[in-house]
Amino acid sequence: MTDDTVDALLKSPPFSLIDPTGFKRSLPFRDILMNDARIVGFDQGDIIVRRGDWGNSAFFILSGNVCVELERGETSLPEEILGRRTAKRKSLWESFAQLWRNHREPEVREVASTGTSKPFLNSRSTHGGTRIYLQEVSTVLDKYRTARLDSGHWFGELAALGRTSRVATVFSEGVSQHLEIRWQGIRDILRYDQNGGLKRYIEDVFRERALAAFLRTDPLFENCQEELMQRIVDQVEFHTFGNYDSSKPFKELKNSEQTKTDAGEPVIIQEGELPSGIIMIRSGLARISQRHYNGRRTTGYLSPGQIFCFDEIQAGVKSSAPVACQAQLSAIGHLNAVLVPTSLVEEIIEWNTSHEPTESRKNKQTVRTAGSQSVKIKNDILLSQLVDRHYVQGTSLMVIDLDRCTRCDDCVRACATAHDNNPRFVRHGPVLNQYMIPNSCLHCVDPICMIECPTGAIHRDLAQGDIVINEQTCIGCAQCASNCPFDAIRMVDIRDTKGNLIVDSKTHSPLTQATKCDLCIDQRGGPACERACPHDALFRVDMHDATKVEKVFTS
Amino acid sequence: MRNLFFQQRIALTAFVFLSAIIFGAYYLFSITLSNTSFACGVTLLIFIFILSSYQLRKKLPFLSIGNTSTWLHFHIFVGLLSSVLFLLHIKMRIPDGLFEFILFLTYSTVFLSGVIGWILSRSVPYRLLSRGEEVIFERIPIHRRTIHNKVKVLIFDKPNPDLGSAIPDFYHKHLQSFFSGPCNQMRHLLHSKRHRHQLSQRFSALMPYLNEQEQTVLHQLEEQVQLKDDLDYQYALQATMKLWLFVHIPLTYSLIIFALFHTIAVCAFAGTIG
Repeated sequence: MTDDTVDALLKSPPFSLIDPTGFKRSLPFRDILMNDARIVGFDQGDIIVRRGDWGNSAFFILSGNVCVELERGETSLPEEILGRRTAKRKSLWESFAQLWRNHREPEVREVASTGTSKPFLNSRSTHGGTRIYLQEVSTVLDKYRTARLDSGHWFGELAALGRTSRVATVFSEGVSQHLEIRWQGIRDILRYDQNGGLKRYIEDVFRERALAAFLRTDPLFENCQEELMQRIVDQVEFHTFGNYDSSKPFKELKNSEQTKTDAGEPVIIQEGELPSGIIMIRSGLARISQRHYNGRRTTGYLSPGQIFCFDEIQAGVKSSAPVACQAQLSAIGHLNAVLVPTSLVEEIIEWNTSHEPTESRKNKQTVRTAGSQSVKIKNDILLSQLVDRHYVQGTSLMVIDLDRCTRCDDCVRACATAHDNNPRFVRHGPVLNQYMIPNSCLHCVDPICMIECPTGAIHRDLAQGDIVINEQTCIGCAQCASNCPFDAIRMVDIRDTKGNLIVDSKTHSPLTQATKCDLCIDQRGGPACERACPHDALFRVDMHDATKVEKVFTS
Repeated sequence: MRNLFFQQRIALTAFVFLSAIIFGAYYLFSITLSNTSFACGVTLLIFIFILSSYQLRKKLPFLSIGNTSTWLHFHIFVGLLSSVLFLLHIKMRIPDGLFEFILFLTYSTVFLSGVIGWILSRSVPYRLLSRGEEVIFERIPIHRRTIHNKVKVLIFDKPNPDLGSAIPDFYHKHLQSFFSGPCNQMRHLLHSKRHRHQLSQRFSALMPYLNEQEQTVLHQLEEQVQLKDDLDYQYALQATMKLWLFVHIPLTYSLIIFALFHTIAVCAFAGTIG
């Protein structure tokens, strides 16, 4: 970005509406635009963001139009025309061949093959970069339902700020020019802009485009009437808790193991307080705790999509008197939540009660409760430890039941066989009750390791959502390894096929790359460690799957 | 847990049922004057191959051919069933030929080591968790050396002149061998704490002869003794868990070779015997 470009941007809305006086002296608004933004151009059919890709930036349309794919599921744009490669799995022969093809030295890289891999399908070089493009835009527009966005609109901001995958594909209709801002830049603008224009815009966009669909993920709102849903969408309040730069509180947990449970966590609703509505988690995790003598005892936790305070409001409707919250809800790290006002929830409950037959009401209630129930473990201390140490972030937490584990290390050997003779985890870690949590990647729901990766080498696999590292683009900066609070990412020296260390051509120091558990993404049959355990002692647990969590931790 | 009991009950029922079938088939074969030993032997050889395929499964962890735990359950089941066949094959008596006796001994050792391993794998993990810190077996010598170095620093690096020679003498007499390597392994296996009491008594006996600073050092030494003893406990149990495999696996290979040789010899001489 040049000074002239920034000056031009600052003169036109929405940037001219942002109050620059609220920004820090060390980080003025102008510098944010200068350092965190760039202008990018696209030709007809160029894909700007692709459904399922991980979002790190948002786009503001400076000129031209873009089309947003509206359909979801089977009727959405097929993967092939989006230029997406299918994840390569080893064939049966390749799996066998690992027995003799694995290199003697660990972490060997095929240097010659770097950069010579096949280019993406439907890609072309334009505007100084490689773009994936749709070949026949007119056919796509005819065949698939899309919406047009013209200049002055933002897109991609929800995925960038929520650290989630893109929910829709956006492509350029004709030639267009955009301002791309990294999520760090948007975060700073949101934080320091006194007018709050961008914040309001983002909330309005979420309200307009995604809120109804998000609410309908809970059985309570599933069959809600259109008119009532519209009123809910209009009246819902957005709340944010905790520090957005989440690597900091995560790192702090290492040094604060002895501190009080939930100390410092922002309280969303207090125990004994009358609920002003139900709270539905949009992103992040929340702790449910209850007073226990002079402290607080963790009784559960909530993940995205789960709701709180429903039981109290329902009890209030039945007894015709308000019922106070039975527990406290606090944010673990950074949390986004929506609050649906009590009056509307009462309306839904009353509508459901009056419009549904008794039998189906019973069933419905069971389904709703199952969908919004917090994850519970009978052992309070264990639950508290899992929450305190942020293991609840894991979507594939490795757990070893030490009452069954014979320390045979078959899991480690299996991992090594599947990963070129270098195991991607250490069978060592904190022991909670009889469960060991080894230093293996948890595949966090909010992976902070990805935040500062300068090349995007650490990314979510598009097919399964597992967090993996691309060897071709990892530059060995170790940002991910230092960000990971679970010590699950290791920097290793890499070697060529002859077993020699690959060194920097100028400094002659060995080159390192980040390595971590990839859940055996290229292997047949999934994680080798879990299948290799002869004593059923090793489990991979999605900490948001209440049934699985209960099964593993109450065995 | 209920599921586990259910599985065990099914396995036991299946074992009794299949054993009954084997006995029944053996009886039917014997009344037709067929060569029961040959039939038993061939089935046993097949069983041995099935049993050894478990090791092959462990070498191919990346293939989706069932969990290793399922294979282990099957391995144990077939192993127990093979003992029934083996007893029928040797007609419940110890063979008198030299080669047959070696084969008998090999099978028995493999079978017994398997049973012992099975029992150990069910009992040792619980015991490992009950004492000491969780440590990786290969790192135990490093931990041991760290403790020993700490002890040496406590005793011999004397910044304070008030420390006399009582503690160094005590160390040379009672603690040097204890800290220099793994100790009391059999006692740990038997879950005995007698050696700990003995050492504790020696510490108490020395205490009245020490000044205040020496007593502080002795207390610190006692803590290190406890740490080292816990480490020895982990070492003894984890080593046992590895040791039985060193008996079970190599002898399995020997058993396969001997059994094959035995089968070839039987087939070769079958014509002359008729």
